[in-house]
Amino acid sequence: MKYGALISGFLLLAGACCTLAQDAASSEGGPVKTRYSVSVIDDATFYGNLREPLPTVLNQVLVEPSFGLRYQDRVSFSTSLIGLAGTYSDNYSQLRVKETYAGLSAGDFDFTAGRKMVRWGTGYAFTAAGVLDPPRNPTDPTDRLNLNEGRDMVKADWVKGPNAFTIAWSTAALAPANENLHDTTAFRYNVLVHGFDTSLIAGHDRGSDSFGGLTFTRVLGQAWEIHGEGMWRDQGAVLLGGKFTMHSGISFIGEFYTPPNTGYYRDMSVSPFAGRQHYAFFNASKTRLRELPGWKEWDVSGSIVANLDDHSDAGVFDVNRWFGNHFSSYLHLEIPHGSKTSDYGAAPYSTATSLGVRFQL
Amino acid sequence: MSKADCVLRWFLALFFLAFLLTYALVSHAASVPMPDAEALLKRSDAFRNGWPAYVVNVKITTYEAGRSDEEHLYEVSQKGTDKTYVDFMSPREKGRHLLMLGDDMWVYLPDTSRPVRITPLERLTGDASNGDVARTNYAVDYSPVFLRNEKIGSVDCNVLELTAKRKGATYQRVVYWLRTEDARPMRAEFYLTSGKHIKSATFDEYQAYGGKTLLHKLTLYDEIRHDSHSVLEYSEATQRNLPDKLFYQGRADRF
Repeated sequence: MKYGALISGFLLLAGACCTLAQDAASSEGGPVKTRYSVSVIDDATFYGNLREPLPTVLNQVLVEPSFGLRYQDRVSFSTSLIGLAGTYSDNYSQLRVKETYAGLSAGDFDFTAGRKMVRWGTGYAFTAAGVLDPPRNPTDPTDRLNLNEGRDMVKADWVKGPNAFTIAWSTAALAPANENLHDTTAFRYNVLVHGFDTSLIAGHDRGSDSFGGLTFTRVLGQAWEIHGEGMWRDQGAVLLGGKFTMHSGISFIGEFYTPPNTGYYRDMSVSPFAGRQHYAFFNASKTRLRELPGWKEWDVSGSIVANLDDHSDAGVFDVNRWFGNHFSSYLHLEIPHGSKTSDYGAAPYSTATSLGVRFQL
Repeated sequence: MSKADCVLRWFLALFFLAFLLTYALVSHAASVPMPDAEALLKRSDAFRNGWPAYVVNVKITTYEAGRSDEEHLYEVSQKGTDKTYVDFMSPREKGRHLLMLGDDMWVYLPDTSRPVRITPLERLTGDASNGDVARTNYAVDYSPVFLRNEKIGSVDCNVLELTAKRKGATYQRVVYWLRTEDARPMRAEFYLTSGKHIKSATFDEYQAYGGKTLLHKLTLYDEIRHDSHSVLEYSEATQRNLPDKLFYQGRADRF
């Protein structure tokens, strides 16, 4: 029943979006531009060797419409929602607001108000300085189900030449109750200098810490990209990473991350007495295996993330296959390893295998 | 006058005539100036970049074994010679953006939580590479040298050899055929640093947009997998006043 309502809602929304898109197409070159996208994901996750009396299969259907409107390159509105229906120990459905914000451009200034995702951190699997970013999950750095949500904020950007200044105030009042968020005031200065895309970040969490840090990315030669983040928030957190691309298109990403074991940075599965943590991440991926006849529509990726202190790790393997322009299917396999009290070994299963189909419009 | 003197005089006269004729021909040839390769390249760029700031739609159709395989749509905004912003419009790529600032490139992927810096090698990914779509000002990226005159069919062409002069250039070397009459690009061959001939291009059709004759259709042939080629169709090229902040790398709130 709930699935039916969700799908009906999706169809209504898709119809409305298509109508709006047609209207927009008819006013090509006019002052109003609209964009939309809809994706529907049917995902089933199978847990192997569960250590707790829980169902072995999690079924989820996600409907994710997005709509954007821009008037005269001056005023904009954007919304991105997530409709989620799932079956596990019981049935549930949720409507989440991924982003909904309005923007106003005036000269060199941009003002934004609403729920919005910002990306200040440069890390792929971890972030030390992404103070307003959605959380990184190193076993799912691409957020494959697009479940990340933005922060509720008011933000002003001033862009002048290669320099950009941003000030943002974010409230935690509307955040889900289980998230350890505070009202945050943050400032960022970003500049591209000698190929270094560099940012200085500073701010304060109400009722908590002040913080300050730096991020950078740089391309070296033909094949290397390096990135890093350093943040001081009571104690220092450091991330260093790099990407190497081969002529064949195979990419390797490696990252080293060391956060202090403080409330802000601590993972739920890590003991408060464990001391500073050290993590390593490695990923190899190739999109479109076009060198192999018949495999052009396939993308593959394999990762391993390890906690170097408790010697636990998780291996992740992803395969994606496209069918035409709108449909794709995927396999996501996660294999945690380590003692039951360790960071990754604490997962209550020995394997989690997700299979799904995705439709994108 | 003896017969021998007469023959000698005739011989000397003919020799003098031949000398004059040869001298005239050689001096004429020497007076034909070598084409200015820099100027030719700049003129040829005008067929791909009509205005200092503009927006153009690009449709790329890839053919495998002669069969249409897939289609991609892009909206390309360009300002000056070193600022390009590409909005990916196809359903399977929707939400992606590519930004080029001088030698630096970023791609914004909706499924990662940050703008991703692109290395020069990654500019070559895809059937038509990111660089093919985003870098069309060859005079900025390459140093040209005039090679020779050559005909393509019945069309007289100047052939230039272009060598990358900045790391942002997509290819290390390009051999470029430009129509002698107006420096219109006709054909190109693209080479990697290793010397490998990776792609060839034919510049098939031109159309008038806003009073300018601009490239409308370009075909890229994969020289490694010979059964594959991509057709790039340019449409709705429009002069536009583009704000600098559109090309700011830290701007994550892309439309």
